[in-house]
Amino acid sequence: MKISVTVNGHLYERNVEDHWTLLRFLRESVGLTGTKEGCAAGECGACTVALNGKTVNSCLVLAAEADGGAVDTIEGEAHDGELSSIQAAFTRNHAVQCGFCTGGMIMSIKDLLRRNPKPSVDEIKAAIEGNFCRCTGYVQIIEAVLDASGQLTPATKGELEYV
Amino acid sequence: MSEHTNGSAMKSVGINHPRLEAVSKVTGDALYTGDMVMPGMLHAKVKRSPHARANIVGIDTSKAEALPGVHAVLIGHDLDYRLGLYVVDKDILAKDVVRHFGEAVAAVAADTVEIAERAVELIDVEYEVLTPILDPKDAIKPDAPLVHPDLGSYSFVEAAFSPQPGTNVANLTRMRKGDIEKGFAESEWIIEREYTNPSVQHVPMETHVVIAQWKTGDEVTLWTSAQSPFTVRSLFCSAMRLPLNQVRVVVPHVGGGFGGKAGIHLEPLVACLSRKAGGRPVKLQATREEEFSLLPCRSALTYKIRTGVGSDGKILAQRMTMYWDAGAYADYAVNVTRASSYSAAGPYEIPNAWVDAYTIYTNKPYGTAYRGFGHVEFFWGLERHMELVALAIGMDPLEFRRKNLLHPGSITLTGETITDHTGNVRKCLDEAAKAIDYGTLTPGEQERQARTGRLIGKGLATLHKAPAMPSFTATAVVVKMNSDGSVVVNLALSEIGQGSATAVGQIAAETLGFPVSKVKVAIETDTDKEPYDWQTVASKGLILSGNATVLACEDLIKQAYEVAAQVLRCNPIDLDHDGEKVFVKHHPQASVTFAALSIGYAYPNGNGIGGPLVGVGRYTAQGLSNLDKETGQGFPALDWTYGAHGVIVEVDPETGEFDVIKIASVFDVGKVINPGLVRGQCVGGMVQGLGTAVCEGYIYDEQGHLLNPSFTDNKIPTAKDLPEQIESIAVETAQLDGPFGARGVGEHPMISVAPALGNAIHQATGAELVHMPIRFEDVWRAMRSMEPIDNSITKSPVGSCRSVEVSRPSLGERAVPKTEPVTVG
Amino acid sequence: MTAVFAYRSPTQRTELLSLLADSGEQARVMAGGTDLLIDMRNGVAHPELVVNLKNVEGFSAMSWSDTEGLIIRPGVTVNDVLFDARIREDYPLLIACARDLASHQIRNRATVIGNVVNASPCSDMAPALLCLGARAVISSKAGQRVVPFTEFFKGVKRTVLRPGEILEEVIVPATAAAGRGAYCKLKRIKGHDLGIVGVAVMRQNGSLRLGISSCAPTPVLVADLSSTAPVDTIVAAARGAVNPIDDLRCTREYREHMVEVFVRRVLKEVA
Repeated sequence: MKISVTVNGHLYERNVEDHWTLLRFLRESVGLTGTKEGCAAGECGACTVALNGKTVNSCLVLAAEADGGAVDTIEGEAHDGELSSIQAAFTRNHAVQCGFCTGGMIMSIKDLLRRNPKPSVDEIKAAIEGNFCRCTGYVQIIEAVLDASGQLTPATKGELEYV
Repeated sequence: MSEHTNGSAMKSVGINHPRLEAVSKVTGDALYTGDMVMPGMLHAKVKRSPHARANIVGIDTSKAEALPGVHAVLIGHDLDYRLGLYVVDKDILAKDVVRHFGEAVAAVAADTVEIAERAVELIDVEYEVLTPILDPKDAIKPDAPLVHPDLGSYSFVEAAFSPQPGTNVANLTRMRKGDIEKGFAESEWIIEREYTNPSVQHVPMETHVVIAQWKTGDEVTLWTSAQSPFTVRSLFCSAMRLPLNQVRVVVPHVGGGFGGKAGIHLEPLVACLSRKAGGRPVKLQATREEEFSLLPCRSALTYKIRTGVGSDGKILAQRMTMYWDAGAYADYAVNVTRASSYSAAGPYEIPNAWVDAYTIYTNKPYGTAYRGFGHVEFFWGLERHMELVALAIGMDPLEFRRKNLLHPGSITLTGETITDHTGNVRKCLDEAAKAIDYGTLTPGEQERQARTGRLIGKGLATLHKAPAMPSFTATAVVVKMNSDGSVVVNLALSEIGQGSATAVGQIAAETLGFPVSKVKVAIETDTDKEPYDWQTVASKGLILSGNATVLACEDLIKQAYEVAAQVLRCNPIDLDHDGEKVFVKHHPQASVTFAALSIGYAYPNGNGIGGPLVGVGRYTAQGLSNLDKETGQGFPALDWTYGAHGVIVEVDPETGEFDVIKIASVFDVGKVINPGLVRGQCVGGMVQGLGTAVCEGYIYDEQGHLLNPSFTDNKIPTAKDLPEQIESIAVETAQLDGPFGARGVGEHPMISVAPALGNAIHQATGAELVHMPIRFEDVWRAMRSMEPIDNSITKSPVGSCRSVEVSRPSLGERAVPKTEPVTVG
Repeated sequence: MTAVFAYRSPTQRTELLSLLADSGEQARVMAGGTDLLIDMRNGVAHPELVVNLKNVEGFSAMSWSDTEGLIIRPGVTVNDVLFDARIREDYPLLIACARDLASHQIRNRATVIGNVVNASPCSDMAPALLCLGARAVISSKAGQRVVPFTEFFKGVKRTVLRPGEILEEVIVPATAAAGRGAYCKLKRIKGHDLGIVGVAVMRQNGSLRLGISSCAPTPVLVADLSSTAPVDTIVAAARGAVNPIDDLRCTREYREHMVEVFVRRVLKEVA
């Protein structure tokens, strides 16, 4: 079937199989590979994108359901070659290690800050509960979110201690 | 080597520099193997065994081959190759027998994933299902059916391993130090207990994936998510009987490895599919379920420890027996066994020690390298044991550990002498204890306990590890200067998220005296272009590749000085440099820029001298030796990284539910190259350690089917699973032969988290936990002295979980100080 | 395994019901898709046709009626419920159960109706609807019938829905508004997990209702308990109503123990 989907502000008209997921459409038809498949079962969140303004696991959404809609992926986060405040905070705070979870993670955080510009640590954890990270242990990601939302203070910023 | 610091503060090393490749990762630009598409690429799918042990009576692939869009179908008998890092025991596809649930028995390459899956369905396999051997203790009984009846005919690395033909023992490693019978005879107490932990999976967020192309003329290219491009190449060529210079391995960004991608996995199969498909590139991406059963996991372990303690609390003798449940193939497990053996007693001084460590074949997905290389598994038992021994003899667990810790002058299990600069395990332990106010409840903690009714307990555990690697492990690094004076560093140590590229970049910058911004570290590794590195494992990268980087940079500067000396008409000894130029020390206005030297120097009249500046550094582990196969004596350790965790836990006495209030982790890293990266390893490893401690573990039924091959029932920690407070603490006792004094810490943060937690729970509640994972239910049972549940082989999905028979005298009967030694347990 | 199927997305109710009547067993209805797509991938469901009902006119709305109460339609997601200010006011138990269902991304797609139609014994929404005395309005091309949720669940992943029928409305009665509610869910981790044991309670006008999940083939209601009854009596009633099993997640023993513990906990919360 033919679908029309706006992805990161650009309109794409493509033929897809009825059974294709939105994740597969983005990666194979549109060619945006920043959104990853980690489990294909809606558990790990590596495939998180925003569909019509709401974050979803794109592995559990059919491409057909996005017809006429708008999708935002990690590739739409930076503008004119400038990192967004979340992306910049990630690089400053070591919130990235292998990077595989990062695209989906940033999409969840972007959605959080849109809904809640000054989230508490518990609210951050709830927002990224569905985004697995095996590398960082989440702490530096949480600090990046506090940083991006102007809440990182000496009290909330952890440091390596030297003894 | 420690590096020149000029006595002044360093500008790049020790600095919290952002990760060099962070931008490509936060934008989604970074390409991983699964993102790559080659012209004409086909898609592969694998047919996997639903049985844990079976004979393959027949395979009919005719319908699959006839399906339009199918380009290649392979079964075991199509491929006359054997694989095995240390014991060559594996076929690429099962031939005649399947040895574990999920084992690959056939494979297909087709135009689309859908066609490949359909073709796999059309392959008919007739199995004669046999009773699997699942429990390692059953597998070593004399009458046990053999997983590998032909073990005696397999080739293996004779210098290091001892397979036992006619049994299910893939390897037996022994360690003999001192006179163990004398040690026990002199002991006041003897305590013996057994500890177990199940298999777990690495769970990298990116599953295993390969694109392989086997072109006419036997030129093979493998694009793969792997930790060790040169090991992939050498194992591939050895198995496929190809010369090394015909095979190229390319590793783009890697989405996590944790040891699961350390060796060779899907590459041979996919390459063979490509060859059969006429040289078309073929991609195989493992699904998450395949990651849990087709790809390997971490061996399970049963660890029995018998300790003899003198009246003063000093350990006099220890007999350690490890039963490593390696699953169906030996892979890395035999080396995990060997490497654990020489480390098996932990950072404690044991004058008389025996280790017998068995790598045992069973009919389960097999164990490969996993972060910690055996140490996460055996430190569970060891550090629980130290706690139980202390409690048995009536000594405070911290004091007991302090009394027995290694210190300068101590001799290790293999006969190595600990020095002032090996590392300071005592300091690690003391700082961990201090960070949790060990031994007391603070007023705040007492108030909390009184208010909530939940019991607060504190536990400690130490750890150590040396890299498990060949004694002659070597690496090389190349640093090339660009025509603008910036540099590119090439090395085959893979950036898999641990931060090695950034650390190397900072080391290069510091050695060169350049800002980090002038240093690029190439991320993609390519065996045609990068110089050799053994593997990205073992926490050895920072020392070996860091040293090689220093040497390469010094080589580059030396070459630059040689040309500059001609240009400036002086002796190289008269020269110095800064980030931009080389100059004469006593006449600094006499200078020439690096840019002008970088690709050859051109005189104003047109004469050219010199050439492109390319620094090469090579470094080999120094002075290491093989272990004697009978006694285990030798010098295997490149370095020792010590550490300790302190845990404060709060337990609901009614239910066993618990929360980690605080974890403080201390490591002697020698020199912190980048505090943000070190902290990232500390926290990341700690959380992975918590996962293994509380919620991870393979569960099989009695037919050997894996019951939890997905995230539904194989859980890992989420952001909500963090302790309330986390501290990461670094001790810096310089490693004299490490770059700027640094030693590795990639694996260590995961080790000993579980026993620290178990010790804290025990302290709070008296729950004597001896099995991982520690679920709420396990705490509840242990608190009530109920039979513990070992859930790793369960009776059936509907039906009772089998309780393990354990004879457990209560703690009060554990040990009695007498004039004669008493054996208990 | 990639499931292959055809897809239709009707926009009118009559179109949907006709399509389902004609397709019978070959079609599956998709609401949020978070259970169906996984079942298809695992080969548990293999429809030839997937029918998305979220685009049917009127199907995504919640509505309120003074007489009936809250009407939830097929496209209403768990997050729609969780973020609704009036539901927070009137039916706090719905919020308590919704909050612990999977993750934020799943809750943006998973629907209340889809969750109860899936009829997992571990359902988070079912205990709430049982406690609230909700009713199921079931529609097909042939007509409509109303079934209280106490009669909706038949077994593990089985409901009274027949081929061609959809659950079109969940009616949460106005009389249940402003009852006090609480939900305790046992998980293996603090992060998103299905329930090992789930106990919901509603307290209103001197009576208590308990909804228990993961302890029987279906979610279970224990009704007509007096809020003045001794706690031990209530605990015993709950204990008697469930029949948990051993499985790879938990033993029967621990489930039985935790049901009792959770009943006490939720009672304390609504005291």
